[in-house]
Amino acid sequence: MKELILTLQKDIIVPVEMDKVIPNVIENLSLEEIKNLELVQGRKRVKVGDLFDVELNEIEGEPRVVIKNSNNKLKYVGSKMTKGEVIVEGDVGMYVGAEMKGGKIIVNGNADSWAGQNMKGGELLIKGSARDYVGSAYRGDWRGMSGGKIIVEGNAGNEIGEFMRKGLIHIKGNVGIMAGIHQNGGIIIIDGDVDVRVGGEMKAGAIVVYGKVDEVLPSFKYEGIVENPVIKLSKKDEGTPIEGTFYKFIGDYVHNKPKGQLYISVENNPHLI
Amino acid sequence: MEYIIKNGIVYDPLNGVNGEKMDICVKDGKIVESVSDNAKIIDASNCVVMPGGVDSHSHLAGAKVNVGRIFRPEDSVKDIYAKKGLRTGTGFSVPSTYKTGYQYSEMGYTMVVEAAMPPLIARHTHEEFIETPQIDKAAMPLFGNNWMVMEYLKEGDIKACAAYVAWLLKATRGFAIKIVNPGGTEAWGWGKNVHSLDDPVPYFDITPREIVRGLAEVNEMLGLPHSIHVHPNNLGHPGNWETTLETMKCVEGIEAKPRYGERETSYYNTHCQFHSYGGTSWKDFESKAIEIAEYVNKSKHVVIDVGQITLDETTTMTADGPMEYDLHMTNGLKWANCDVELETGSGVVPFIYSPKGPVYAVQWAIGLELFLHTNTDKVLLTTDHPNAGPFIRYPRVIAWLMSKKYRDEWLYNKVHKWAQQRSHVADSDKEYDLYEIAKITRANQAKVLGLSETKGHLGVGAEADIAIYAIDPEEKDGKKIEKAFRYAKYVLKGGDVVVKDGNIVKQIFGDTIYVDVQVGEDLMNEVLKDVEEKFRRYYSVNIDNYPVSDKYANSWRVIKIDATDIN
Ligand SMILES: [Zn+2]
Repeated sequence: MKELILTLQKDIIVPVEMDKVIPNVIENLSLEEIKNLELVQGRKRVKVGDLFDVELNEIEGEPRVVIKNSNNKLKYVGSKMTKGEVIVEGDVGMYVGAEMKGGKIIVNGNADSWAGQNMKGGELLIKGSARDYVGSAYRGDWRGMSGGKIIVEGNAGNEIGEFMRKGLIHIKGNVGIMAGIHQNGGIIIIDGDVDVRVGGEMKAGAIVVYGKVDEVLPSFKYEGIVENPVIKLSKKDEGTPIEGTFYKFIGDYVHNKPKGQLYISVENNPHLI
Repeated sequence: MEYIIKNGIVYDPLNGVNGEKMDICVKDGKIVESVSDNAKIIDASNCVVMPGGVDSHSHLAGAKVNVGRIFRPEDSVKDIYAKKGLRTGTGFSVPSTYKTGYQYSEMGYTMVVEAAMPPLIARHTHEEFIETPQIDKAAMPLFGNNWMVMEYLKEGDIKACAAYVAWLLKATRGFAIKIVNPGGTEAWGWGKNVHSLDDPVPYFDITPREIVRGLAEVNEMLGLPHSIHVHPNNLGHPGNWETTLETMKCVEGIEAKPRYGERETSYYNTHCQFHSYGGTSWKDFESKAIEIAEYVNKSKHVVIDVGQITLDETTTMTADGPMEYDLHMTNGLKWANCDVELETGSGVVPFIYSPKGPVYAVQWAIGLELFLHTNTDKVLLTTDHPNAGPFIRYPRVIAWLMSKKYRDEWLYNKVHKWAQQRSHVADSDKEYDLYEIAKITRANQAKVLGLSETKGHLGVGAEADIAIYAIDPEEKDGKKIEKAFRYAKYVLKGGDVVVKDGNIVKQIFGDTIYVDVQVGEDLMNEVLKDVEEKFRRYYSVNIDNYPVSDKYANSWRVIKIDATDIN
């Protein structure tokens, strides 16, 4: 199989859309064809070979794209990919892994907003931090992330998992306001602290917070303390075990019969109840 | 510039031309008897020639359309229009203005009427018209919930109401009297609705029957080109067919008396599909389309447009504020609502008409039944764009009507079985021919709008608005029919070739048409006192800032009517 190594030649000012350079596309292309692929840059089009040093190798296993010297002007990296691997050395721009269906993206740096927007499957691993709207819906849409896994080792911004329907988002650091807003399924796990309005307007799914929570929305109902709970999102769901002792809430009661589950660490939030 | 369109098969119902091979001559923007040898030849061999399409009911421009665009970026991203040399545009169900104009033009349409213009924000509609290329435009201001209209009619002062209507039409550069959920949108301002023709409006204590009948009388007193254009009460509610029939009946006996044009009807029921529902709830929901069609067929005064469901994800938008609230409560999707001071209101909600939904399947069937059972002189093709579906689906609707095979393909393979069980659409073998298609997409429209002197036909003296489609008149392949009507072979607008092989080859800007009726001066002065009083007391704008000024069009076309006998 093929390994494509792209090295960004110099810093760019106008963002470039990288959605054409994904493993399931490059596996069928020659070096020349890849160099001549046209990418959108602002209102112009540029060739891959004009922006990047391009190297194509034969490797074992699934196709792979490696982007070296990357920065946050490279948008839509790994967008809509279905298989293989994308490895980013450096930061990455908006919409990394947007609408991805399969395969894996590893970002060895930070990601800009909208990482994993409307993701359908596969895995997105961000070793640094991510900005707002991790795993959210397209702006305006009420049909969000429907599968796959997003892991952010650093912090994340506001409104992560907006309108999420399925899959997993795991943020190892802290997150901003309105985590899991309009959530309708899936699980969000936050190891760090969350800012206000966690789970606002959620209908279903679960949010687990290990860190500090200043306050829970008044439209959530307190259910009691649970230990090492198994999160079940449906009757058939065999469950996802979570370790720790949590206050459990159900909400958001701005909706009729909401099924959203909110688990908040007892240890770090003695002030809550 | 001269053209001669050679060897096409011509369908021109207003002149009784049914599939004759003949040449059409064009000179200086008009259709003429003959042209010189210098005329450019347009080869229409193996093609069908029709007058340019006319759409009498579409929500294409103005405040609520723009709300739809703004609050649905997810619709915007679904369809991107970017062609070399043309303005780019976006939006599947609520396209931006240039995309709207281009796509109508690609389909061979040359005139479109905006179905609902809130008078106070008429400027927004006209501003968008300025940026909508390729087509002539007109807009219908909303009158059915207007305080002054309700007060004059309550007092029984038809003449004063007529003068007010004349004033407002001119002030907003409007074209016709639009009535939406008469009294219901005002009731919505009180958190209520009206549920039958005799349900009084809060405070104003007038009934929808009095509003509809009163405005129909006003319309014929003024002799407007178009009749009253009505969206009756109870839109979209099971069992509403009775309200629809009652509303049609309530203006029986009011004769069409246009002072301009050749209209014969005094009542236009828009998006009749939404008003032909039987049953008492969604559980026993069923079609009453045949009952409605039977009444329309025997009633000289009525014409309907269908508002065909296209089974797409779309955006609903109407001045029927309470209906949109009901819709939002039903589907749970986002909702925008607006109150327009003394005049009207509106709501916007996205909607997904899934073919697999039992109710949507019946709605789809009801629209088709209306087409199949109504006399083809009395029915018009619309999708109430974008309410029942986007206008770019007209070709698909045409294909459903022309090919029983194609219709059945959808009926038996794609849509829920309720379509077969709760309607009679499966029983009809009717297939439209191109003559009938030409009626329901241009000739009937031109006539009921009162524009048939120069639009909707290909006779000598008509505007050279011409559509040429690459289609065999016997074609039954649904996909081929769709393609032929979606992308015209040629379109001429005002004598210019604007589309070739489905591509826009020339960008032009059509006229904005409005009606200026002169009533007796003394009467108008009396009414203006009332109007000024209303502005002083209630409006948020000064009366001098209200009228739409001259600069709000690329080019105006005014229909002047002398009604100074009303005094
Ligand atoms: Zn409408």
